Amino acid sequence: MAAAKNPCCNTDFTRDGFGRTEDVRCEALQPVSAPQQPSYTLRRSAWRRPLFGDARRAPYLGRPFRRITGPASTRPRTEPVHLLLRLELRRLADAFRHPRPAAWLAVVLPVALAAGALWTAADSVRPDVSTGDGVVLLGLLVAVPVGIQAYPILFRPADDAFLRRLGISTDALFGVRALRLLAFAVALSLGLMLPYVATGENAGRPLAVALAAGVATWAASLVAQGRAAADTVSGRKPSLMSQALGQGYDYELIAAGPLVYAPIWPAVAGAAAAGFAGSGVWPMPLRLALILAGSAALVPLGARAFARALPRFAPHAGELAYAPPPDASGGELVLGRGIASVLPRRAQAVRARDAVVIGRRYRWASRLAWPVAVVGALAVLRAGGSPGVRAWVTLACGAMLAAQAAAIVALGRSERGRTRWTDRTAGIRPAARFAGRWAAAFGLVLIVAMPMAAGWWIRGDGGAGWAWIAAAGVTALAAAGSSLAAAGR
Amino acid sequence: MTDPALPLAVRGLRKKYRRGVVLSDVSFDVHPGEAVALVGPNGAGKSTLIGCVTADRLPDRGEVRICGADPFREMAAAAACLGYVPEQPFLYPELSVAELLRFVAAARGLDGAESSAETARLLALLGLAGAEGTLCRELSQGMGRKTAIAAALLHQPRMIVLDEALNGLDRTSAERLVAELDARRARGAAVLISSHDLDFLARWCTRALHLPAPGSWRALEGGAWEAWRRAPTLVGVSDPRKS
Repeated sequence: MAAAKNPCCNTDFTRDGFGRTEDVRCEALQPVSAPQQPSYTLRRSAWRRPLFGDARRAPYLGRPFRRITGPASTRPRTEPVHLLLRLELRRLADAFRHPRPAAWLAVVLPVALAAGALWTAADSVRPDVSTGDGVVLLGLLVAVPVGIQAYPILFRPADDAFLRRLGISTDALFGVRALRLLAFAVALSLGLMLPYVATGENAGRPLAVALAAGVATWAASLVAQGRAAADTVSGRKPSLMSQALGQGYDYELIAAGPLVYAPIWPAVAGAAAAGFAGSGVWPMPLRLALILAGSAALVPLGARAFARALPRFAPHAGELAYAPPPDASGGELVLGRGIASVLPRRAQAVRARDAVVIGRRYRWASRLAWPVAVVGALAVLRAGGSPGVRAWVTLACGAMLAAQAAAIVALGRSERGRTRWTDRTAGIRPAARFAGRWAAAFGLVLIVAMPMAAGWWIRGDGGAGWAWIAAAGVTALAAAGSSLAAAGR
Repeated sequence: MTDPALPLAVRGLRKKYRRGVVLSDVSFDVHPGEAVALVGPNGAGKSTLIGCVTADRLPDRGEVRICGADPFREMAAAAACLGYVPEQPFLYPELSVAELLRFVAAARGLDGAESSAETARLLALLGLAGAEGTLCRELSQGMGRKTAIAAALLHQPRMIVLDEALNGLDRTSAERLVAELDARRARGAAVLISSHDLDFLARWCTRALHLPAPGSWRALEGGAWEAWRRAPTLVGVSDPRKS
């Protein structure tokens, strides 16, 4: 073959790139490649309803796309927020477009459990918004989850690196993620209205208070998280508070100090907004309008902080999850400990593995549980007769149980297509897998349930004590089932 | 350093993890039409280096320029120039192959008709014809990688970075991909490729960056490259095929 030599080709022209001696030379490779024109018709079903713009026009903008004319073109992009929102809707619609029982179960079961708990325990878990304490409590119930969720929603979506590599602007990324966080805040506020609806109370005032707290926390979180992220990669000397956090020797924790403290101020802002919304000064619409205006004023600040932080923080964020290597001897993986000793051997193995994985991957599920449980048990011992204390303890420990259940379900989600396959090849049957996971989950939720049960037993109310153990068992059962459903095939 | 004609320029790159320094003052350029191999044993820092280039890892020190743009500051300009296939590519599990590629084309601001034609060509090239309607979560590993490759090449990037991208590809698709890369190199694109197939790298690439261990590196150029090509091995790691 006497074709001109490709100047970029470095092969010896007697072998292709894989060492074969076929007549697939560098110059001759061009015809080997796929036809330059499409030689087939794309399946119409895949293209019938254009999701991201028509083949010739971008209907959501009304003007055609322009092709990148230069390799490093920096021309302004066409409204990527619209594009990302359409993507978001498409992804959300997947459960309806391609319904899968396991996926539905993984979502519906925890939601149903939480809603059921709020509905049935409505009398005792409903903050009384006619008092200042109740208003602030409701505000905190909205503000704390929103403040904590702000970080993963803003900076840790699974597609973050993919979208940045596509050149999506930081403004668009911020816009979509801020909307996600707002949707979470609104959904949470609505969810917390269930106890009021269940008791037949007018939910108008509680809803206004909850939404005010949610919106204020949302806006404050946008600013606080953006600034904390920027501080983390600024290279500046850590603050005294950050140094106190790492006690002087854990430098990675010290470096992440701003992120650790970031949810505090938004939570305080949310509680304050709730207090203001529920106060008697000025009419309610005016108070809400002021809170909305204040929150709206914070959004541009948040966008600026996010844009400043993202380019350097996003690559760094993945490394923040770094944990020191575990003991090489494998000493943490203990088979047949405690209640697990009655399980079949394979289920014991699953329990031991799941317990170690949960303990490392979702360390917060046990670390946060201890203080909640101990404080709750002490409160029961000291003032268990007060309905207010009982409601508070039930709410706090119930929320902790729900968070631990979420960690178990998250374990299942992380296993999609991986660990389950390992279990199958090891000959672990679904029943053993379920028993092992339930035992691991039960061990986790006992951290909350045992101190509570002990508190009630010491007070002489054995029924309430056993109720906590039963609640732990049921929570573990539901969480383990949802977790395996989330793991998929 | 800011020459936009240079697809990739790296200067004084340093990256340290808790366990120690992985990249120590790494500096190299990739010129138009070149294919630069990244070779080294597992854990030597190849993926970390690629991560620093593609702004997936934050270097402690040093500079990276993709077509003259800093990927950490000028994200859009760098992204327009870069086509990257990670070792474990991200695909939206809820989208079909066609939807994903349409999204990528729209996000990159490509002309609709042209990108559709290019999408169809790349799908045919990579043997994905007929899989346009398949959800990404239902793709096999190889098909998922092909989809990621199509997404990375769709916008005619000048700098193509492949991290173990040929793994899991069937032979025909791999040959066609190499041919496609050759054609793009002829048009001025450059390739930075990491692979453990040393024979392939020795035959196909124009030079290499050798990372024998964390914290050390050397450029294989000129005589050193020719010598390495004749017997491609990793220092300190025996190649079972050679024994």
